[in-house]
Amino acid sequence: MFSKALFKQTMKANWIKWVAVTVATCVMLAIVIIVLGNLGINDIRDSLKDVFTQADQEAYLKDNSVDLYELYLTTAETNDQMDTFSSVGSTFINNLVSDFDAALTNYETENGAEPNKSTIKQIAQEKVDAFIVQYGGMIEMFMPDVNVEDLKILLVNVLLAHNENADLTGKDLLMEGYYLTVYDNAYSVAVEEGKTEEEALSEAVEAKAQAKLMVVNLGEVGKQTDYKNYAKSYVNNSMYTMVHDSQIEEGATEDEAKQYAVSVKVISNTAISTYQLWLAEGETAEDAKIEATKSISDQIPEKVAVALEELGDMDMYGLIIGSIFYRIAGLLLPMVFVIMVANGLLAGQVDSGSMAYVLSTPTKRRSVTVTQMAYMLFALLSMFAIVTAVSVLSVWIVGGNNFAINFAEILLFNLGAFLTMFAFAGFCFMCSAIFNRTKYSLSIGGGLTIFMLVCTILGLFGSNVVPSAMRIDAMNFFNYLSIITFFDTTSILAGTLSYLWKFGILLGIGVITFIIGIFTFDKKDLPL
Amino acid sequence: MEEEIIEVKDLTKDYGEGKGIFDISFSVKKGETFGFVGTNGSGKTTTIRHIMGFLKSRSGIVKVLGMDAWNDSCEIKKFVEYIPGEIAFPDLRDGITFLKNQAELLGLKNMDKADYLIKRLQLDPSANLKRMSKGMKQKTAIVAALMADKDILILDEPSTGLDPLMRETFLNLILEEKKAGRTILMSSQMFDELELTCDRVALIFNGRIVDIADINSLKNSDVKYYKIEFTNNLDFEKFKKLKYDITRIQEKYNQVTIKILDKDINKLFKDLKKFEVKFISEVKHNLEKYFKEVLSKYKEGKNV
Repeated sequence: MFSKALFKQTMKANWIKWVAVTVATCVMLAIVIIVLGNLGINDIRDSLKDVFTQADQEAYLKDNSVDLYELYLTTAETNDQMDTFSSVGSTFINNLVSDFDAALTNYETENGAEPNKSTIKQIAQEKVDAFIVQYGGMIEMFMPDVNVEDLKILLVNVLLAHNENADLTGKDLLMEGYYLTVYDNAYSVAVEEGKTEEEALSEAVEAKAQAKLMVVNLGEVGKQTDYKNYAKSYVNNSMYTMVHDSQIEEGATEDEAKQYAVSVKVISNTAISTYQLWLAEGETAEDAKIEATKSISDQIPEKVAVALEELGDMDMYGLIIGSIFYRIAGLLLPMVFVIMVANGLLAGQVDSGSMAYVLSTPTKRRSVTVTQMAYMLFALLSMFAIVTAVSVLSVWIVGGNNFAINFAEILLFNLGAFLTMFAFAGFCFMCSAIFNRTKYSLSIGGGLTIFMLVCTILGLFGSNVVPSAMRIDAMNFFNYLSIITFFDTTSILAGTLSYLWKFGILLGIGVITFIIGIFTFDKKDLPL
Repeated sequence: MEEEIIEVKDLTKDYGEGKGIFDISFSVKKGETFGFVGTNGSGKTTTIRHIMGFLKSRSGIVKVLGMDAWNDSCEIKKFVEYIPGEIAFPDLRDGITFLKNQAELLGLKNMDKADYLIKRLQLDPSANLKRMSKGMKQKTAIVAALMADKDILILDEPSTGLDPLMRETFLNLILEEKKAGRTILMSSQMFDELELTCDRVALIFNGRIVDIADINSLKNSDVKYYKIEFTNNLDFEKFKKLKYDITRIQEKYNQVTIKILDKDINKLFKDLKKFEVKFISEVKHNLEKYFKEVLSKYKEGKNV
């Protein structure tokens, strides 16, 4: 089944090709890995990523600034209103509070138990409703700017605040009700934005604290007709202080902290100014806020933004080493080797007639095919053993497992490339066994092999390893025309296991085509 | 001498459009040298490829040493040496590498015969295989085939490319092999070399065996051909009227060629006394003439 003499003859005929292809492939591979490893192509990716992280941070800062600005204005307004309310309507408020207390006591004697939270809130609401019905006219007269619905919510919170702390009276009680309202609002907004319970609670607490600080600041400012400028400078300064302090805390020098805090202050100022301008143009508060909180990523067209973001997420090493080297560039030379050698193993010798010298000796056709197949496998295996060694060595030189592609991945790349070449070798061998003419064996075996490589090159522009800005989805069609698609470098890099069954298919193609080749050659007529 | 080494019976391989070989039957006995002659594309090589087991017959039997040429192809090769019609060597560096590799394939250890053949054919085996002339390639192929000293030789146009002197050496080599008792099947386009070496020669035309000639009986035939030229036209005309088997007339020169049995030769001389004869010479009736005659009769019969 195996002819040593024929194997030696085939080795002698093909060793130069083998050496040339192996050396060239190894040099290419080593250059690719080592050069890439030292260039740090992922730097570009990282800086792109930074841009988007910064853009996100910027948007967050702007959002915060506008929120604080609005809170300041509301607080200032409420503060003034409560001044008026507490001086003019203190009697009415005291009545409301005592009414509420009486209702609670009443409830307790009727039900024999203290009311729970929701019941307290219900009673408070009933009392406030009654209060508004009774004194609505008077409120409108003294406080024409106030929104009745907002006042109702405020008063309910005032009653709840009283229930918590009976010592509070007058304006302090009213303001406590306002703080509770701010707390509730911040909580419900956070929940609406999809934040966790814990985050929402901490944001609510933060907002309440901010409102209290603002009231302190308002005490310094004194009563004004327009708080807009005060609000702006208050927010800018508090952003500055907050960032400055946290930078110092994180170990930055005074200069660094200052620089960073100023940049944040600028962002805050820009956001609030923009917000004010849009409001002055007659936009709704909601739209004005959208305009004011736009970051870099909002200012460029959406498609470009998505493309840039993908570019930032792209693994350049995976693309160049996996999808370009192992699936295309690195396959080309072994492919030329396989096409030439496979043809020369059978069809070439039948076409020229030199096969007659082998078959006129006591050598079975079966041992000719088995020996030639053995040579093909030996040549490919030894070639990829060396390529694998070179690739592992190169990866080790550029940093081993710290490199963007680790040893396991590079070994799987080599295995995949070998299996792909095994499939092509089987196919070319089959063509060489079927046809008696070199021209048919080469044009079908070699032609289809090269065709598939070209399809993979074209298909690359439609595959998801290319960022969407450069991708032409229709080109993905070409990937369905090539068996190289079964060499799934993306799956290897992603750590999924789908590359395994695809490897199985490549192996299967090789085994089946080699077997078909061997059996065909046994039975056909040879023009020798 | 009676053992049949190669047996071909009703062998047919139809390639369509009248091409191929049809109903080929012959056998080669032990120690016999059998020749094939025919024009290009007549089917000599196709027949030989069947015997070598390279082609599978459509119908008919091909046996070598009683074994089926297709199924037992490998076993048969232990007894067969082959020179292919087309000389193309494997992709190796030089003649020595090729011969050594071939010896390894044959399982041959002793290279004495090869050395002897190289000396006889004046071959330089160290020459680059690709740069060899046609004649050198042919010599290399001859050495590669004959060095194994096997019982059966199958040679497809083995003398092509050899210069006349080398051809003679080669024919002598074949005669040596023949003397050593080997069975030889040889195709050629040269009648003279077949006539010299073969015991029997088959004529193939359009894929069919037209005739198989026995060289010995042809050489020792009691039929002779004589060309006679007369000095004047009158005698020439008179002679034509006599009852001789005239095969050719050349009016211009007053020449006739007659076919005559040995026993009638005295009668001819008696008749010739009456005429003025310029010259008389025997026309050697060789294989070529014989087959040309056979072929022209065959073509008439077939109306080709």
